[in-house]
Amino acid sequence: MRWLWLALGAVALLYPWLVAGTGSAAFLQDMGALVLLAAIGASAWNIVGGYAGQISVGHAMFFGAGAYLPLLVFQQWQLPPLLGVPLGIAVSLVLALVVGAPTFRLQGHYFSMATIAVAELIRIVVSYSDLLGAAIGLQGPAMSVHWWDLTFRSAVPYYYIFLGVLVLLLLVTWHMQVSRLGYYLRAIRAGERAARSLGVPVRRYKLYALMLSATFTSLAGSLYALKTGFIDPDSGLGILVSVQLIITAALGGAGTLLGPLLGAVILVPLQTATNTWFGGSGSGLTYIIYGAIIVLIARFEPGGLLELWHRLAPRFNRRPEDSRAA
Amino acid sequence: MIFLQVIANGLLIGAVYALFSSGLTLIWGMMNFINFAHGEFVMLGMYAALLVALWAGGGPAVFGAAAALVLFVLGVLIYLALIKQVMRGPMLAQILSTFGLALLLRYAAVWVFSPNFVTLPPTALAGTVNLGGILLSVAQLVSGFVAGALTLGMHLLLTRTAIGSQLLAVAEDRHAAMLMGIRPDRMQALAWGLSAASAGIAGALMAISFSFSPEVGGTFAITAFVVVTLGGFGSVPGALLAGLMVGLIQSLSAYYLGPIYKDVIVYALFVALLWLRPQGLLGTA
Amino acid sequence: MLLSAEKVAKAFGSFKAVAGADLHVDKGEIVGLIGPNGAGKSTFFNCIAGDLRPSEGRIVFDGVDVTNASAAHHARLGIGRTFQVPATFEDMTVLENVMVGAFLRHPQRSAARANAQRIVEMTGLAAQSQQRARSLGTPGRKRLEIARVLATEPRLMLLDEALAGLTPVEIQRAMDLVREIHRLGITLVIVEHVMEVILTLARRVLVFNQGHIIASGTPQDVVNDPKVIEAYLGRGHGRAAAKPA
Repeated sequence: MRWLWLALGAVALLYPWLVAGTGSAAFLQDMGALVLLAAIGASAWNIVGGYAGQISVGHAMFFGAGAYLPLLVFQQWQLPPLLGVPLGIAVSLVLALVVGAPTFRLQGHYFSMATIAVAELIRIVVSYSDLLGAAIGLQGPAMSVHWWDLTFRSAVPYYYIFLGVLVLLLLVTWHMQVSRLGYYLRAIRAGERAARSLGVPVRRYKLYALMLSATFTSLAGSLYALKTGFIDPDSGLGILVSVQLIITAALGGAGTLLGPLLGAVILVPLQTATNTWFGGSGSGLTYIIYGAIIVLIARFEPGGLLELWHRLAPRFNRRPEDSRAA
Repeated sequence: MIFLQVIANGLLIGAVYALFSSGLTLIWGMMNFINFAHGEFVMLGMYAALLVALWAGGGPAVFGAAAALVLFVLGVLIYLALIKQVMRGPMLAQILSTFGLALLLRYAAVWVFSPNFVTLPPTALAGTVNLGGILLSVAQLVSGFVAGALTLGMHLLLTRTAIGSQLLAVAEDRHAAMLMGIRPDRMQALAWGLSAASAGIAGALMAISFSFSPEVGGTFAITAFVVVTLGGFGSVPGALLAGLMVGLIQSLSAYYLGPIYKDVIVYALFVALLWLRPQGLLGTA
Repeated sequence: MLLSAEKVAKAFGSFKAVAGADLHVDKGEIVGLIGPNGAGKSTFFNCIAGDLRPSEGRIVFDGVDVTNASAAHHARLGIGRTFQVPATFEDMTVLENVMVGAFLRHPQRSAARANAQRIVEMTGLAAQSQQRARSLGTPGRKRLEIARVLATEPRLMLLDEALAGLTPVEIQRAMDLVREIHRLGITLVIVEHVMEVILTLARRVLVFNQGHIIASGTPQDVVNDPKVIEAYLGRGHGRAAAKPA
């Protein structure tokens, strides 16, 4: 398995240079950055949705917090956007507690329902808040004036920043996976009652997972805002943001390290393609396809493409190795 | 006077909320399953009414019946093709199944109908009526009472009829029900049909009075979540009471705080409920 | 006195599953709980295990009041339990299942793994340690559950029909394991239907019927008690047993 990660790492590191010679270098480099961003968001969702099995359908609230705060401090208070990044994380942690603390005592459905309700609540409140730009949204630096604006014209610097964050997230996730936290989360997902009987503090660990997930989702939102320089209630807090995070993780394989990456590599180019081919109405079609994909995953292969691969090609793998590190 | 009007309007729309929420709570109580596409069932009921109005004419009763029929069939089909299988699977599959379905239905409707808001052509229920100084729209008045009656009817169906007791038996103990000769699968399919039909009729009733678009399902879904949580797991009478309360709270907030608070208050109420009394009005801690 | 349950009652709505039961267990004992189905022994068992909160009564474990303590707290204090229907973590390997238990006392992965490995070997699961739990049969799962609980280093172990559905050979193997656990100094409370197990292993037996404890004593006493026979077989049989031979 190690060779796979090394190969991926090498390709990822060299990608911008590899496509630099082609005719659509800028486009491909930009898409590369978007793939990495999608991978970060999906991997972050994966911590609570995949490993812990607590299905959040409102993760946009964390993404949005991370996206809005940097642009808020810049547009309203003329401060470096970077200062907004830890603020976004702080807000996300508070939201995680507000949503998780009461619902993690109850059946799983309550948590899912709460995530959707709170995310919508925040979206509506934000869309009426003048401080937060209301329906128009907020904007970041138009030109790069200082280094901490993080406003680059080329996608390549963003690409490497995102790659760095993704590597950090994967390391954190891997470390969690082999630690007590990881084992307890998998036990919770596999059987809460049994986990409890073994001394697992279920509610507390679910909160840990949610808070860790919220932190990195917020970071993904901040990176998005820094790159695009713009955010509004739909692009930051809409239900489609939550959908994107979920489907990217679930398509590849929720609960695995590689799954969200696989999902990102497939879905980002796919979405770009449908948007290009079908023009304006393309985005409507994209979400019909997304809905269908999610239903198919749920119905036929909840473990995603990785699980499908393990089932169809057992010759190529001794045992599920990328995630089962005992 | 205005105050009474606000209250009346709140209760009338609340009854409609109660109707579609009773469908959601039925499934929750029977199968321990939350249908995240329930709001889309309401939305489809609205569009069913539109299509009937445009192609076949007829009055509100026809819309309602058509919506009920179409959604009943859809509910059963969804159960047989999807829900039955994911019930045996992990939580991820269960939640994603209806979440994905919601997405699919919503954007398929956008594709077919366009994202714009539409209204039904005027019906026999147009106009307003003056009841002791309170001005109420005929359509909303009739919708409210029909919805309330149907919700009560659902309750009576479950508690007073043979088929109802079979449904409840499956909810109580699947195995025991099987031993008594009841077919849980059939009962669950029926429940899905009833659940979807209740949403469909509610949608058709609302379509008479309000404009709608394919994207309104999301708000109805969350409203339903609030009502079923407030009313208590699996309780249709609870859903009726809670529906009326939610409608009332919404109407009062819209009037006193402003129209933008209409949904915000309900969602905020949900969060408060989860913190303070998740078992709802009638549940035990 | 390791465990003391007094006047424990549990009602579900108006239905009294347990209507006042007492249980006193000394360190090192093996106590059996028997009774017909629906007699309330599982409910009582779950109250002691912390899965259910008793409606009335008091449960004290080694001086600590655990009446309203959570299941997780019970485990931390040293009370472990198995489930009637094995609740193993299906997608995790045998070793990983046991590690979850071991993590309670050993937060570091290497220590947890070492301890789990030891217990896997001790319980005879070494050959399947890398297999997923779902690939084990029922006897394997029951054994795994026991191993998993052992890893939490309990002082009191509650076994819920751990030997039900096993073949005679498997029952012998399981009883050996139970004896081994007892030798380690762990106190045991066993709910069982398989009489052979109760008669051989338990020093003391309590009999449940309709929410009450109707008899208690040595296995021999209890098996010949007319009230007990009546509970299982109905009236008439009890009287027949009471008549002198």
